[in-house]
Amino acid sequence: MDNYRPAVGTPISDLDTPCLLVDLDALENNMAVVAETYRGTACKMRQHTKNIKSPRIANMQIQAGGTLNGVCTAKLSEAEVMVEGGITDVLIPNQIVTREKLARLAALARQGDVKVTVDNAENVETISEVAAENGVEIGVLIEVDTQMRRGGVRSPEHGVVLAKLARELPGVRFRGVMSHQSAGGRPDADERLRIAEEHIGICLEVKDAIEAEGIPVEMVSSGETFSYAAATLIPGVTEVEGGSYALMGNTYGYLDEFQIANKVLSTIVSVPRPDVGIGDVGMKALSTAAVTNATIEGIPGVTIEEVQDEHIVLRSDGSAPLKVGRQFMLLPGYQDHLINRFDQYIAVRGGAVEQVWDIPGRGCHH
Amino acid sequence: MERPIFKPIGSPIEELDTPALIVDLDRLERNVQTVHSFFEGRAAGIRPRVSVHGCPAVAHMQLAAPGAVGGVSVATLGQAEAFNGSGIADFSITANVVTGQKIARLCALARRAAVSVAVDDAANVADLSAAAAASDVELKVLVSIAVRPDRMGVDPGQPAVDLARAITDSPGLTFDGFKTHEGTLEVRSVAQLAEESRAWIRRVLQAREAAEAAGITVNTVSAGGTYNYEIAGAADGVTEVPAGSYALMDGRYAGQREGLEPAARVLTTVTSFPEDIKIITDGGNKAIGMDRGNPVADEFPEAAIALSAEHGNIALETPTRRQVNLGDKLWFTPWDMGVTANLYDYLNAARNGRLEAVWDLPARGRYR
Repeated sequence: MDNYRPAVGTPISDLDTPCLLVDLDALENNMAVVAETYRGTACKMRQHTKNIKSPRIANMQIQAGGTLNGVCTAKLSEAEVMVEGGITDVLIPNQIVTREKLARLAALARQGDVKVTVDNAENVETISEVAAENGVEIGVLIEVDTQMRRGGVRSPEHGVVLAKLARELPGVRFRGVMSHQSAGGRPDADERLRIAEEHIGICLEVKDAIEAEGIPVEMVSSGETFSYAAATLIPGVTEVEGGSYALMGNTYGYLDEFQIANKVLSTIVSVPRPDVGIGDVGMKALSTAAVTNATIEGIPGVTIEEVQDEHIVLRSDGSAPLKVGRQFMLLPGYQDHLINRFDQYIAVRGGAVEQVWDIPGRGCHH
Repeated sequence: MERPIFKPIGSPIEELDTPALIVDLDRLERNVQTVHSFFEGRAAGIRPRVSVHGCPAVAHMQLAAPGAVGGVSVATLGQAEAFNGSGIADFSITANVVTGQKIARLCALARRAAVSVAVDDAANVADLSAAAAASDVELKVLVSIAVRPDRMGVDPGQPAVDLARAITDSPGLTFDGFKTHEGTLEVRSVAQLAEESRAWIRRVLQAREAAEAAGITVNTVSAGGTYNYEIAGAADGVTEVPAGSYALMDGRYAGQREGLEPAARVLTTVTSFPEDIKIITDGGNKAIGMDRGNPVADEFPEAAIALSAEHGNIALETPTRRQVNLGDKLWFTPWDMGVTANLYDYLNAARNGRLEAVWDLPARGRYR
């Protein structure tokens, strides 16, 4: 575990590397875009904390607006971190199946409005038993498979069976339906809307089937950063599970209203030839997902040639000298895994440290 | 921080909260015995590359085994500081340490431990010398020999001799020898690995010969790893082999080293069984590193494994005949233990299927 806390006001050029920077101007821009997009819409953003792992950033987003007063988290332990950070409306869009984890979930339900998604009757029954034993009520949403072929019901009929079961059993409260899919890889906004309508439409079919049985569906939680705007145009969607928009990455570059707010600061430690510079950050810190589509800022004319375990090899076209000790920044392709490998964000503005934030959700895979 | 539900020592291992990184101690001990016994009575010793696991308990086990040189090899200064906190006091840092604040940390560590650091640049030698002399410490320095001209290190001919000479002439520094590192190795045939290993090792030994011909004493020549420790350890002139993956092993090395057993694996739980050819678990690629390759689901070795960030996804070609229930535990052997162990804060140690110890991984995330 690292514990890097440079003094407030430290210039970026004096930071020890590698470290994970958050550009506060860019982060605030991204939050303002969401606040503006969801101004007056029935549908609201529910920040997915898998991409930020920080209740501080989640709270900033809630204050900025356009969101619910809550978040969604990938895992139970990540939900605990967010509740500890003062956020009490938490959706875990994932299956929690073991009794010991459900007992933790029940404990969390004493502290907040906690919801989980289900795709299996036996799981609904177990949640009910554990919740009833603990004297709490746990919200459940039916997870619908729309594209990913992961968890989720495959038919409206199955969704109706689970919704009825959740209505009958003690300790659980049926709240709605949820789906996860991606409208990524499509720079054209109309195309993203069409894809989002197609996928989210599958989730809405389950909602309609449940409502046809006279069961009210309070929540339709779906979408992601790629469809954050499209989802507001799809009637019935009540909330969007966007995560990447806060910090962003090059893979989302065509959503150019957002700015890349997370960058890895690195230092060249070796220049074996004038056109080759080797930086002090590698795959262990970065991840394949961050390296794919990554770009380099701070030294003109360099590209990434190879990423080793602990180093990165840069190739220069000769437009700027490579020198031992020179810093550069790596802008990630996709930031999700990158964030999960650092212990602190160094929040910067105007070229200097403004704040240092812990990343307590890092490693919360339980 | 990882937040598992802790279980009492002695608990059956399949009762651990998942996803969990678990090492089988019998296998670990056999792997250490197998590799270290090769070095017993040889001129070369093994310097455990502890960056692979980040675990002081494993490092101490390696150092206590025969054939070890008495210190460890690390990739970063921060890792050396973390292991120093567990009482280890002999480090070879294989990365260049170039900035003023890192050199100051290096000199501070050198008060508490024997430290050698790699260099490939004359200006860096001057900076290290000035700081070491000002701090009144002695730094040992190894010259990196590049495996190819556009990678870290210098050519084994005159550039290596010139740099060695500059170090011997510098106050505060002791020239210790040469090291080479082949970088990331992809799976190749055993014969091809042996041939390439010998070529790499020949380069670092050329540097040794050239330095000695110039009248410079060479104490240390570091080369090799888990994939070729017998070749490097038997090469005349190599003094230490910085191997590390042999202890915990992983899918990548299992294909190359049949004498070593996969010791550390990830235990996961089935969270959804939505189709009879599809099993979803709670171990995605935030719990099983797959930056260099896919893991194997041990109970379904032929199945296609797709890991998204938070989910494991086992796709079977035909419906499984095994009964699959929610809550079942499934084991995964990661392809790359280095990136996998770096995702955890705890390494659970098991013997005969029961939890024997829970070890901290304080060097995780110490990239600086």
